Amino acid sequence: MDLIQTLLDGLMVGGLYATVAIGVTLVFGIMGILNFAHGQMVMLGAYTAFFVVSAGLGFWPALAISMLAMGALGLLLERLVFRHTLTDHMTGLTASLGVIMVIENLAAAAFTPDPRNFDPPLPGSFQIAGLTLSSQRMLVLTLVVLLVVGCYLFLQKTRTGKAVRAMGQNRTGAALVGIQINHVTAVIFILGSAMAGAAGVLYGSLFAISPYMAAAPLMKGFILTVLGGLGSVQGAVLAGFLLGLAESLGSRYLSASFRDGYGFILLIVTLLYFPRGLLGQRGKFRV
Amino acid sequence: MNAEMEQVLPAEKTPTKSMRQKLARIVPWAGWISLIVLLAIPVLGGSRYLVYIGTLIALQAALAVSLNIVMGYAGQFAMSHAAFYGFGAYVSAILVASYGVNFWVAIPLSMLIAALLAAMVGYPALRNTGGVHLALITFAFGELLRLVASNWHAVTGGPMGMRVMVSPPPLFGLDLSSAKGLYWLAVGMLLLCLLITHIIHRSRFGRGLVAIREDETLASFLGVNVVGYKVAAYVISSMLAAMVGCAYAPFMNFISPELLSAHETISLIGVLILGGIGTVAGPIIGTIIFFGIPEMLRVARLYRLVLLGVIIVLVVLFMPKGVAGVFNDRIARWKRGIS
Repeated sequence: MDLIQTLLDGLMVGGLYATVAIGVTLVFGIMGILNFAHGQMVMLGAYTAFFVVSAGLGFWPALAISMLAMGALGLLLERLVFRHTLTDHMTGLTASLGVIMVIENLAAAAFTPDPRNFDPPLPGSFQIAGLTLSSQRMLVLTLVVLLVVGCYLFLQKTRTGKAVRAMGQNRTGAALVGIQINHVTAVIFILGSAMAGAAGVLYGSLFAISPYMAAAPLMKGFILTVLGGLGSVQGAVLAGFLLGLAESLGSRYLSASFRDGYGFILLIVTLLYFPRGLLGQRGKFRV
Repeated sequence: MNAEMEQVLPAEKTPTKSMRQKLARIVPWAGWISLIVLLAIPVLGGSRYLVYIGTLIALQAALAVSLNIVMGYAGQFAMSHAAFYGFGAYVSAILVASYGVNFWVAIPLSMLIAALLAAMVGYPALRNTGGVHLALITFAFGELLRLVASNWHAVTGGPMGMRVMVSPPPLFGLDLSSAKGLYWLAVGMLLLCLLITHIIHRSRFGRGLVAIREDETLASFLGVNVVGYKVAAYVISSMLAAMVGCAYAPFMNFISPELLSAHETISLIGVLILGGIGTVAGPIIGTIIFFGIPEMLRVARLYRLVLLGVIIVLVVLFMPKGVAGVFNDRIARWKRGIS
């Protein structure tokens, strides 16, 4: 029973990681923009939800509004900054560093650094087969699965999704067959940022939010993107669940204070033996 | 300065091309001299605050200069720089405080341990081409070091850090334990890092690193030992970071796992790109802009950082080569006699 409980907990946390990792995969894995400000989108998404819920509108409008708001912010950042740093990791990284400083400090000034939280839509817990399950955690897990499946279907089935994947394989080739690179870039940024906003809302419904909460989900998003194989959405999701399981099993049975360490060990070992990541297509080569 | 001269000179046509070349050759020397003047200010000015800020900036500049070896010259994205900095601070402080090792012996010892560690991490991570691989492994390694530092209570004092009373004993009759002495220690480390960068810049090794940065496959065809050179650059740069870390403990009398955080490395990368990556002067200029200007702008800390963020984004978008890169281009063009 204890083991199953731990596994379910791991799946829930892993789902949260996977939601962030999909956004990072889209922006970093496919576009090649090293946007560290992705974590700040998660933070702003959580705050948007906090203010909407505090205004009495409820959880579902909060989810919709913060996905929309983060999508808009993503579009703005893409138009102003990141479209000029395409393909160049170094400048993209530095630009996002500047964006982080602006967003984080303005957020700290506007929202105060105090941690806050808002009421989840489904408080309490229920029991199935001797397991006590938190309703909110189950809701989060369901939502994550829905988001992941929706994102996957979008990429696989729609015309825009196919354009995104074509661009991920070869940008020049995609341009040659008539894909509007500018439009697709904007779409990817909007989608990635909206996923970050959704992840922020789900984070906020479980944990406390503060202006400095961005670092942990961001780090894990990048780790998962590479762990799963650059540019592979399925890989990022798989890696997300694996990381969640590893963390909750590790902190349950080994040491809780070393929780974040298990992910790093997993990353180092994976990269040493599978340099392409779990499901990566494009590999590294040796000289 | 250059812009004005450029406008005046073509009309008068007095300085010939060779004259321009001579003048252009002076520029690096002018740079060194202004660095020396800048370094002398805190000591001559005398106020405790200036010495404190000077030490802080000198340490940061030394870190940026050492990171420039692996990032600027070899073009490898090493994210573990702050981790090695903190590692040096912890190892030297523990060696001095718990084992009674002489401070001047502790520095090379911790550099040696850091070098071994860097080689162990660097070799498997650098076997493959491409920056992201190394970036993530070194990032994860740095975070692991930070977690060890904050969880190994018996040795490191845990997440709240520890208070250490380390002061360097006199060296060659020079007292280095006062605030000004520590400033000279930091400046000495900065100059050492600069000297090593300068030597690498002009050596066969340095040219090999630049070749690797531009194209690893091509460099291997030209007979450059790509993996060996990359690992060597990573080890040297991490070793220097550990050395700079040794000066941190006596300066602050307090060390905490926050020193090892990846945020520090990220801001160092920001410094490098701001100043001009892969140039000798870039890291110094970047540090002065990044840490010096906020100290000068006497507005609330919050808005200083916001303003700095805006400046970074603007520099990245409009001067991708950094301040030093733009400056170098200008001088090179002027030397050739093109407007």
